[in-house]
Formats: sequence, C-alpha cells, structure tokens
Amino acid sequence: MLKHIVFLGLILMGCQAADPKPEKVKIVCTTGMIGDALANVVDTTVQVVSLMGPGTDPHLFKPTKSSLDHLSSADIIVANGLHLEGRMQDILEKIGRTKPVIFLGEGIEEQFLLYGDEAKQIPDPHLWFDVELWVNGLDYVVEALNKESISTPGYASYKDDLNNLDTWVGEEISGVSEENRVLLTAHDAFAYFGEAYGIEVIGLQGISTVAEYGIRDVTNMVDLIEAQGIKAVFVESSISSRSIEAVVAGAQKRNIDVSIGGTLYSDALGPRGSGAESYIGMVQHNVNTIVNALR
Amino acid sequence: MSPDFWIVITGILVAVNCGLLGVFLVLRKSAMVGDAISHAVLPGIVIAYLLTDSRSSIWMMLGAAVFGIITTFFIEFLHRKARVQSDASIGVTFTWLFAIGVILVSLFSGNVDIDQECVLYGDIAYVPFDLFFLGENSLGPAPVWMGSINMLVIALVVALGYRGLFLTSFDTGYASSIGLNTGAWNYLLMGAVSLTVVLSFNSVGAILVVAFLVVPPATAYLISKRLETMIASTVVLGTLSAVGGYLLADLWSASISASMAVFSGIFFALVFGYSLVGKKLRKRVHLSES
Repeated sequence: MLKHIVFLGLILMGCQAADPKPEKVKIVCTTGMIGDALANVVDTTVQVVSLMGPGTDPHLFKPTKSSLDHLSSADIIVANGLHLEGRMQDILEKIGRTKPVIFLGEGIEEQFLLYGDEAKQIPDPHLWFDVELWVNGLDYVVEALNKESISTPGYASYKDDLNNLDTWVGEEISGVSEENRVLLTAHDAFAYFGEAYGIEVIGLQGISTVAEYGIRDVTNMVDLIEAQGIKAVFVESSISSRSIEAVVAGAQKRNIDVSIGGTLYSDALGPRGSGAESYIGMVQHNVNTIVNALR
Repeated sequence: MSPDFWIVITGILVAVNCGLLGVFLVLRKSAMVGDAISHAVLPGIVIAYLLTDSRSSIWMMLGAAVFGIITTFFIEFLHRKARVQSDASIGVTFTWLFAIGVILVSLFSGNVDIDQECVLYGDIAYVPFDLFFLGENSLGPAPVWMGSINMLVIALVVALGYRGLFLTSFDTGYASSIGLNTGAWNYLLMGAVSLTVVLSFNSVGAILVVAFLVVPPATAYLISKRLETMIASTVVLGTLSAVGGYLLADLWSASISASMAVFSGIFFALVFGYSLVGKKLRKRVHLSES
C-alpha cells in the first residue's frame, strides 16, 4: 500500500514538472463551432483547442483525461452556455471564479433568444445556425478576449465572411418556393435557423435527447407530410436516424412520396475531409443539402 | 494540490463508500439496485425542475435523492409483501419509475434538455474544478467533502449496525427467529445506499458508481465468504482500482471513470482466474495424496 502511495506521488510530481511550454496563451473552447471561429481570428501567439470533436452531442459530452488537462492548463475558456454543455455548465461557472470563462450565449440580447419552454423562460442554446446571431455572440466573445488582452487581428475579415455567408443562406433559402420551406428533422436544433431565414422547422423529438418520440409523434408527422406535401425529411449527424426512418417508412406505407433529404450537421462540426469541418463549411453543407432536397 | 491528487482521492472515497454498502447488497442478491436507482431517479429530476424552474445541481440532487429512497423502499416492499424475487422486484420498480419519468419529460418538458445524463451525472474529471467556496476562499473540491461526510455516515451505520446487517444479510430466517426486525435493517441499508448512490452520481457519474457497488464486493466474495475479510478486501480492491484506473486513463488519455471501472473488472478476472487454477491445483494435490 505504502509503495503505491510513493509511486503515485512520484507520478503526480512528474506530471507537474512536465509542462514547460506556457509561452502561448491557451484558449480552450467547448464546441468545435466556437473553436473554429477563434482559430480564424487570433494570431500565432495563441493556441486554440476545442474539447468536443466531430459527432459529439454537447449535452452528453464525456470528458477524458486530456479534456481535464486542457481545462486546467487553459488561460481562458470559451463556452456556448445557455446550458448547451449540460452538467459541465456548473463546472465552467465554478472555474469562472479562478480564471476567465466566457459564455457566448451571454452576448445575445434577450429579445433575440427563442425559448423551448415559454412558461419557464429556458432559452434554446442552439444559437449557431442563425449566422447573424452567431456574429452577435462572437462580437461579445471577441470583445471579452480583447479585455483579457488577446488580440484578434483576423476578426474583421472573418466577420465579413460570416456576413456574406448570412446573405448567401438567405438567398439560397428564398430560392425554395414558400410552400416547400419546411425542415423536418429529429431534434429541434434548427429553431434559430428557421426563425432567421423563414423556413418552418418541425422537430420530432424536442430538445432533450431522452424524450423519445412516441407513436403519436410519428403519425402526426406523417399526417403533416401528407397535408403539406413535404418532399424530404432530414437526419442529423449527432442523433440516431431511427426516428426519421420511422416517419419515412410510415409515410411510404400510406403511399406518400417522401425521401430522406440527407444528413445535416447539427450539434457538432463534421469530421476532417467532410467539407463540414469548419463552421462556414458546415452551414454551407446544411443549406445545400436542404435546398437540393426541397427545391 | 494537484488536480490528479483530488481525482484519485475522490475515486478512493467513492470506491470505499460504494464498496462497504455493496458487500451487503451482494450478499442479499440485490447488487443491481445501484443501476436501478440510476434510471429510477428520472421522475425526481423532472418534478424538481417543474417545481423550481431550475436545473441547478442542488435541486436535481434533492429530487433524485427522494426518488432514490422511493425506489429502494418500493423494491423492498414488493419483495417482502408481494413476495416477488428481489431481482424481479428491482426490475419492476425501476422500469416503471423510469417510464413514468420519460412520460413526464414528454408531457411537460420535451423542449428543455432534461435527463439524468445532462443535469445529474457529474464526471470524475471535473472534480478538481468543482470547488467548494466559503466566501472568496476555496476549501478544496466539493465532491471530496461530500464523499468524506458520506464515508463517516456509512462507517457509523456499518459499525453500529454490524451485527444486525450481518445476520440479516447471511440468514434472514435465523435473524427473524431471534427477534431481529429484518425489515428495519433492510430499509436502513437501502436508505444509505440510495443517498450514497445519488451523491456519488453527482460527483463521478453513473457507470463508476454502479461498478464500485458491485465489482469489488463480488471480487471479495470470491476471495472469502467471511464478512470482515470481504469488507477489508473490498476496500483494498476499490482503492487499487481507483489508483490503477487513474494511471491507465493518464496513459491512454481516456475517460477516467471508465478506466477505473475497467480496472476493477481486471481485478475480478484475475481473482476469478486464480480461484479456478487454485481449485484445480487443490484437486490434483488431493488426488496425489489419496
């Protein structure tokens, strides 16, 4: 037993000694969308790390030993907030007492927030698909970073890119005829997108990933597809596609012509090489998929 | 104090707390009660959210604790009054409560992200950051404080109730024939289990709690059927799993709680393998002697 304690002691000391490269300022971000934005705007004296990789559902993120190391060695932490990070939110707030933690969601004015549950005023945290709103959030983060004396030389041109993206998304979506503008997915991650670009969003499952879809939900969806003549429904990269497949199967049984329009990236960036590994690429992928299927 | 130190300490606290109670659960054939509680707390969380409009962990834990106790009492009740086998009464209780929770979520809070994964279960990797603040001063991680208090309570329960827990675990018939209230002892144990489990879920997450509740005590049962030896080996095995699992997670940069759980499984396999080999050797010695 004593041997183990001595052994552990040696290892712990070893861990502390082996960290001799703190010249770069380290910003640790929770989601890939935030990490991608910051990597585009900071200079080479700053290292940006994202904790959540491709395909991660942020509500269910399981930290590894290296996430722990990143959190403890971070100089600044940037998170989405609004409870997107689930149980980690409490922890981030506590870390905020000892080093700067920036919640992007705090930069969004209340009037622009959408509420999953109106009565209880709990905001929907999936901010990123309204590009203009996302820019508002990033403005807030960049300002907070500047206050911590992190320079953000790339932000002006990145913001231009995002504004162009916003215009492009608006044009693309308005190219779809109005009665076809219905986005049917498994999970309600696209509420802000629908609000911003004038497309009706219907989620099968709601925001929580445990509220399982019921038989009635599936039937209601099929009725809706029939009534509105919806051409395509969509699956999401970080959620099981079973519920949507059930809807398509139910519709086909009733001889309604509906297909799966493709996979949308909702809660996380795509894997390297997918074209959706950056925020801009992700939005372009989603919009192209939606427009191609609904046009 | 380094973050690694706090994680290992928390791992050991959870291993010992769960292990001490787990020994009695394994003997009573209700080891999976921890897993049952991990599901059955869902209605408690939803009700706590509906009552308080908040998802802060303190309310979630309260709701979960109340339903943890309801779960264990219901299991005991079904087992004793309806004479359902203990595994079946565990199964009936937790699926029913979990299903009620799912219905509550879809009726009242389908548009808010609420389930035990995202509002109750912590992760042992977060322990060093989950500091307990008194005014502006941090007094170390809250899970270490809670785990230590929890350990004191469990030590008291086990020390003071040793004879009652011992008799009711090994031989219910004999225990009641000498006038012990077996029901009361069961409820005492189950109450301690539900509070410990919910508290530990909040500190380290579900998988590690369920593993530490079952695996080290089951391993200890292979080593000896004597209660003192079982308790002592459970404590040693749990501690070694926490330390070994941490080193493994560091090596592979993997999930710390999963690595600790894997390590406790490795100990089980080693002891099981050894007991098989031992039996064969003993048989051979026996044969050559005769």
